[in-house]
Amino acid sequence: MTHVEPLAPEQITDPALRELIARCEQLGVPDALFPRILARVPAYAKALLRAMLMSHAEGNVDHRLKEIVRVQLARFAGDPYFSRLRSRRALEAGLDEATIDAGSGDYDDDPRFSEAEKLALRYADQMYLDPGKVDAAFYDELKKHYSEAQIMELGAFIALHYGMQIFMRTLDASQPGSRSVGAPR
Amino acid sequence: MATAPEKIDAAFYDELRRHYSEEEIVELGAFIGFNVGYHTFFGTLKFYPMFAPDGRLVSQEESARIYGAAPVSLAAAESA
Repeated sequence: MTHVEPLAPEQITDPALRELIARCEQLGVPDALFPRILARVPAYAKALLRAMLMSHAEGNVDHRLKEIVRVQLARFAGDPYFSRLRSRRALEAGLDEATIDAGSGDYDDDPRFSEAEKLALRYADQMYLDPGKVDAAFYDELKKHYSEAQIMELGAFIALHYGMQIFMRTLDASQPGSRSVGAPR
Repeated sequence: MATAPEKIDAAFYDELRRHYSEEEIVELGAFIGFNVGYHTFFGTLKFYPMFAPDGRLVSQEESARIYGAAPVSLAAAESA
């Protein structure tokens, strides 16, 4: 099990939180495990899950691209839990595992990605690897392909999801028994 | 968590439990994760506080000169 035990479903009585957890399970990211750990602090859980769902599944940046970025970040964070989750919506929209893997690899030389997509992948890639490279010139380059609103959407998405991935990494969902809540494999 | 997350292991969580409840540990962990994520993002945006310590609304250039890289609160503490 994880270092902090998730609450059992019957221990979560707040209707708004239960509805958010159902939405998470429906999307597939996160599944029920992370929300049930967060549910120990219901107010935090509701705010963070709302923000995670909104930043990932809403907005004006392609959800499939955000899913590729999210998995790239989770792998960089070394978090097996978020690395192995997949957005059902992104998969239904045609995203495949080979493209997800390509986004975590040498994407700059990969013809399947447009220049705008490569830039979004580099934005996430560099943000925590070498944030000094995400400078004024980099933002000028982003503005050639994205609106200011889309850049904020991407940046906020990257920041929130990476932050939650690095937290989840420390909880160690790779241990036996951590997958007892029905997460997709 | 920010610089060496591999060190936050089962033994570390056991140590945390000597001082904090499970709820407090989740609260701290989520708070820290949130801040690790967002402050790096904010750092790339290069923005500074809108107001000087005396309450004046200042330009970003002036704010950068006032605040620089060190928090004003820290400077105040050091001079005390």
